[in-house]
Amino acid sequence: MVWKIAKKEFLLNLMTFKFAVGTIVCVVLTVVFMPVLVSDYQERLKQYNDAVAANEAELRKVKVYKNITPTIYRCPNVLSVFSEGLEKRLGYSAKIELDNVPELSAVSTGLNPYLSIYPILDVSLVFKIVMSVLALLVAYDIIAGERERGTLKLVLSGTVARYQVLAGKFLAGMVTLVIPLTMAFIVGMLIFEFFPLVDLAGSDWVRIGLMYLASLIFLSAMYNVGLLFSCLVKRSPISLVLGLFVWVVCVIVIPNGSGYLARKIQSLEPEEKLESELKLVAENRDRELKEINKKIPPGWSSSDAGGAFNRTYYLILDKRGLEYWKKSSVLKEPVRIKYADKFLEVKQKHLRNLFKQKYLANNFSRTSPISLFENIMSALAGTDLARAQYFMDRVRMHRRNVVEYVRSKTADFSSLSYFTRCKEGDWEEHNKTLEAAMGAANEAERKRVLDAFLKWRDKKIAETAALNLQDFPQFIYQPSLARSFSRAIPDLALLTFVSFLFFVLSFVAFMRYDVRSG
Amino acid sequence: MIWHIIRKEILENFLSLRFILSLLLIISLFAASGFVFVDEYNQQLQDYWKKTNMNLSGLSEQSSQLYELAFYKQRIFRKPITLTLCAEGFEKSLPNCFMFNVFTADLPEIKGQSNFTVPHFSDIDWVFVISLVLSFVALVFAYDSICGEKEAGTLRLMLAGAIPRHKVLFGKYFGTMVTLGIPLLIGLLVNLIIVVSSEDIVFDGNVWLKIFTIILLSFLYLSIFVLLGLFISSRTAHSANCMVILLLLWVGLAILIPSFGRIISDASYDIPTQAELRRTRAEADGQISQNALNGKYGPYASSFNPDLNSPHVNPPARARYDNALADAQNRITEEHHNQMLAQASVGRNFTCISPAVIYQRAGETIAGTGLNHCVNLYRQIRQYQADLKEYIRSKDSEDPESLHLLSPFKYAVRSWKTISHKAVDFDNVPKFQERDLALGESLKLAIWDIGLLVLFNIVFFAASFVSFLRYDVR
Repeated sequence: MVWKIAKKEFLLNLMTFKFAVGTIVCVVLTVVFMPVLVSDYQERLKQYNDAVAANEAELRKVKVYKNITPTIYRCPNVLSVFSEGLEKRLGYSAKIELDNVPELSAVSTGLNPYLSIYPILDVSLVFKIVMSVLALLVAYDIIAGERERGTLKLVLSGTVARYQVLAGKFLAGMVTLVIPLTMAFIVGMLIFEFFPLVDLAGSDWVRIGLMYLASLIFLSAMYNVGLLFSCLVKRSPISLVLGLFVWVVCVIVIPNGSGYLARKIQSLEPEEKLESELKLVAENRDRELKEINKKIPPGWSSSDAGGAFNRTYYLILDKRGLEYWKKSSVLKEPVRIKYADKFLEVKQKHLRNLFKQKYLANNFSRTSPISLFENIMSALAGTDLARAQYFMDRVRMHRRNVVEYVRSKTADFSSLSYFTRCKEGDWEEHNKTLEAAMGAANEAERKRVLDAFLKWRDKKIAETAALNLQDFPQFIYQPSLARSFSRAIPDLALLTFVSFLFFVLSFVAFMRYDVRSG
Repeated sequence: MIWHIIRKEILENFLSLRFILSLLLIISLFAASGFVFVDEYNQQLQDYWKKTNMNLSGLSEQSSQLYELAFYKQRIFRKPITLTLCAEGFEKSLPNCFMFNVFTADLPEIKGQSNFTVPHFSDIDWVFVISLVLSFVALVFAYDSICGEKEAGTLRLMLAGAIPRHKVLFGKYFGTMVTLGIPLLIGLLVNLIIVVSSEDIVFDGNVWLKIFTIILLSFLYLSIFVLLGLFISSRTAHSANCMVILLLLWVGLAILIPSFGRIISDASYDIPTQAELRRTRAEADGQISQNALNGKYGPYASSFNPDLNSPHVNPPARARYDNALADAQNRITEEHHNQMLAQASVGRNFTCISPAVIYQRAGETIAGTGLNHCVNLYRQIRQYQADLKEYIRSKDSEDPESLHLLSPFKYAVRSWKTISHKAVDFDNVPKFQERDLALGESLKLAIWDIGLLVLFNIVFFAASFVSFLRYDVR
């Protein structure tokens, strides 16, 4: 009997205007959104590839170990098309340096800060807004409407039990909603195929499949909200108005209000405090470095040349310079590395505060099924905070490997190749040419000698071969599907519970429903 | 007769559940908005004065030597505006710190503001409540005003009398507007009472005028949605179908189209990346250095020796060279800043097909918040920078020991005394004071948006008028 009711309801739904319009809107919006979002992703991917290539090229140019300061770029996430999450809010890159440990930061450099006047745009916006409205529209008159038409009492005058009617109506509603959802997903996938540069891996398909499932659960939750109101009131317009007001509260009021509540309860320390703490650490470090400086005799000379990663290196150093830098590197670099960890501690303390506020806001917003759905989508797409933290953890691990690598290659920074590649006798040759230029009799002579000197210098730069970095540690970052899924589980469970709860409430309401019309 | 219809509409609406729900929702939102504003504004104001006083005390320390005053990098923060109550304009995520000295100005930065791990939240300000919640409520009130009466069979009864159709339409329009106006005005009143009763916030005449303008603007905006509701209602036979269409239109106009702005901005306007900007800067520097070598600024323009008596120094040439370098960099910064602003505006220009975007922009313009606030402040800072430079020039000319060469190369200024090293009276040093735009200036900026809102009204009115005249009431 349940199936018969479900079939009847489903066929009736298919013929409705709201179903036709809702489905068309979903598909049309996917057709409009997807190409725009995918091409935006493609553009970001291109920038990422260019940046990685430039970084690799710089790495091949490195002549001294101290200049090894590559940047690790976060590959744009193809699934950000579905859920943007924090993808565009967090920094895209992290620099690997001895004296600094990278940590999560807001995107700052290179992006236009004025663009923050715009809200986020992704495909889940279509699902969470349009599909949820559609779910309410399908559900609002499912009981109250039948009562108004007088068909409900006819149905219930037979042998069919009330729970069967409700189950049939739920099934029918869900099958009705699956159609636009599935069509939107299929159209979206087809559009992906039109972008040859965009490559979806096997795990991405699984993630999309899970997103589809999550969307279904979300739709069932929204449908059950509508069903509850339909079972609670006698007139369908009232059911619709109630449903839509709840929807407005869930879509607009709760997500925005939860941010404010979290700000109030978990206030942040002012950034000046972070700055002053960092300054204090920097002062301690500088003091320690100054102490070391006292142990090394200064008074050396050098000629610098531009090196990889926009850093200079000592093309030529005099004897004292060689001694100075050798000692200085051996004594100072471990101090810098030690203080890099202290800087990190301070930054992490500040970040923990931000995270607390974020989790609080998240918990408040969990009162809205729409926020739960957003959380699930961003966890599955890998655009959530946890994924960004995982990326940063890997970057820090990579930095440790790089530091160890440099340490081992330069015998704890004592090797000359850490800061220069000059040989004995280079300094004397350099001086000879320079003095000749200085002592020139007239301007023309001076220019000629200077030109010769510059040529000699260029030759010297060209002669200095780049370091062989074949065994340089590779950056490994492999986000796992299992981790994403485990992050989505709490919200998924909560959403399922919400859906179930509303269904149970609808059931109770329907059991007590007065089916008489008029 | 028209008054009868208006009265009937209003009374009918008053008794409906939707009116009670709207009233509760809107009043609670406006009340919450008022409390949030009072609380945040006070905090922001305290922060602002703390930072401004720090900047001023830094400046006063520099006044012991005129040249230090010229090189002191001032940090000006955006002043919190009372009218963020009406339109916050995403001020929390826009650049708020402007750093400059008399020679150079950096690109504006975002300093110590919001939590970047929390997604983008809008503040619950007037524009937010009106553009999203009240526009939705407007449709809820209007959706069955024509087709609902047809379904109930009362429309043909009404039209069977001597009353012309246009009067019915006017009656319904004004009836819905009044019904909508009541929760709006009560909400605004509650909000204003909360804000005004707080001791620290005082509104001057200009602010009240702007508030009044924003309220008028809000009615203009809501009228679009009422007319849209009437239009669709007079195009459909069933109120359920009308609601479906209106809901989807609302989702499109109020939520989806505004979200497109970012993508449109990104796609239609390319701004140089950091690497490209660095390259442009380096090229400009290279070109000027080459010009210096070619003697464009005079002999020894690029050489520097602290000893002024050295034969290889030429302070005027060096000053010309350094100023040329700074000017080129300033030009690049300015151009980049203009490009960033243009990129941010282009998305909004394209999404102006949504009244919500137009209303949001007009609200921000009148309130003096958002992008316009940044643009206005940046302009004022550049003006102040020029004024301060002029002050330093005039003070410098009074010192006979100075070479009177305003140049951005601090070592040269210090060792050659190209700018006076004498102390100045700090009281006479120009200090930056942010000035809000007057209502007239704001209106001038918002005139196009207001025009567009009026145009939307006219179009939807004409559409609903024609549709209702041809409506089959049977």
